[in-house]
Amino acid sequence: MLLARSQRENPRGGSLCAVAAEFTELSGAGIVLVSADQNFTSLCTSNHVARELMDLEISLGEGPSVEACAADFVIDEPDLANPGERQWLAYGPSATDAGAQAVFGFPVRIGGIRLGALCLYRGAPGELTATQLSDAYLMASVIGRAVLSMQAGAPSDTLAAELEREATFDFSVHQAAGMVAVQGSMSVGSALVSLRAHAFALNVALSELAQRVVTRQTAFDPTSRSWVKVQETES
Amino acid sequence: MPRESLLISTLVELADNLVDEFDVIDVLTMLTHRCVETIDVDAAGVMLSSPGGELQFIASSSEEMRLLELLQIQVDEGPCVECFRDGNAIVNRALTDHIERWPRFSPRAIALGFRSVHCLPMRLRGRTIGALNLFRTEAGTLNEEDVIAAQGLADVATIAILQHRISLDAKTLNFQLSNALNSRIIIEQAKGMVSQATHCDMNQAFARLRNHARNHNLGLTTVATMVVEGALEGTDLDIPKEAKGH
Repeated sequence: MLLARSQRENPRGGSLCAVAAEFTELSGAGIVLVSADQNFTSLCTSNHVARELMDLEISLGEGPSVEACAADFVIDEPDLANPGERQWLAYGPSATDAGAQAVFGFPVRIGGIRLGALCLYRGAPGELTATQLSDAYLMASVIGRAVLSMQAGAPSDTLAAELEREATFDFSVHQAAGMVAVQGSMSVGSALVSLRAHAFALNVALSELAQRVVTRQTAFDPTSRSWVKVQETES
Repeated sequence: MPRESLLISTLVELADNLVDEFDVIDVLTMLTHRCVETIDVDAAGVMLSSPGGELQFIASSSEEMRLLELLQIQVDEGPCVECFRDGNAIVNRALTDHIERWPRFSPRAIALGFRSVHCLPMRLRGRTIGALNLFRTEAGTLNEEDVIAAQGLADVATIAILQHRISLDAKTLNFQLSNALNSRIIIEQAKGMVSQATHCDMNQAFARLRNHARNHNLGLTTVATMVVEGALEGTDLDIPKEAKGH
């Protein structure tokens, strides 16, 4: 019902995220799916900040969603600028730079089956109210069932068309990794690491750097083993 | 009372099966034996409906019970079949009074030594998934407490089975989703490699991968994996006919 309503109001993709943010009255939401070999894939993000936060977690491998993917309860940091016990040394400062002051990661699972996590953020610090907490858990549960029911009936080994429509999968990072792998004569795995490191060094979102690579503005130069801006005269 | 504590521990065991290692046949066989131990009946059996809606025999406490369950299914007649169809309990029926009603079932059950039958629906929220069947060798009625206890066992077993089915479905779907995501990632990586190696755009790269897969009767994911792992060079892919000459 929630989903149907959000699809009427927001016909474009990513409505699961928009609904999650709206329902919990927080600034934004992102949903990440975790697949077999601990690959994290962003399903959707409700706004630019949520997208940056998601990119950070996937690049750095730390943060509320990453932890929530393996947890049984919420992973919360209500004040990123003054963290308590939980210290995300790389994620924390970058997340506040992106505009988040409080982050909350909820496991998305059905019983023992783990699908991923729902990450909610707020632009101001503070704990979740009891209502927000229970709404978020409910939302995580709805998301789990929604994702699986969308995938049901798809031909084997392909993502369901409905899921593709619902999600805003961004595979440019993987396309970029393929390109860099050939540019630098390295494995795709190494190319991914290289991309993440360079994005962090430039202080840009991973998906932003990936876009530059895919649109051939940036490339990995095999001779100097470094990143270069591509001259416009090159084809 | 020993009977009560065995009943309670049976309920707990059933509820405890809401986890991964849950074998439906094992659990329901255990249930039938516990029925015989805790309630005043001499044999118990369980039938469940298959996805197609037909009844299947699942478990029994004795060979005679198994035969009678199978018979009912075969001739589509008998107290358990009726109970499943209507979703209502059939309690305290003397077999000798029901020869007209179940002409093929009753004489056979009497011949095997039974005198009365009690079938309880396995139902949750208006949906009947099977029946718990209890037979006695004595005439007379099953007392109220026993009927309540038996229905309680049937109810908990129903919940356990439905939960298990949901989790099986979820597990399978999650596995499929996981595989689909991983395949997609590999394909996107291969597209990037082919695009860079052959100086074409992503759409053309995809077309080459797909075309090569078709020509060699391979799966798209297989070809993509070969490219990503270095077993197949992007420049060695077959060029689609339409693209030739570009």
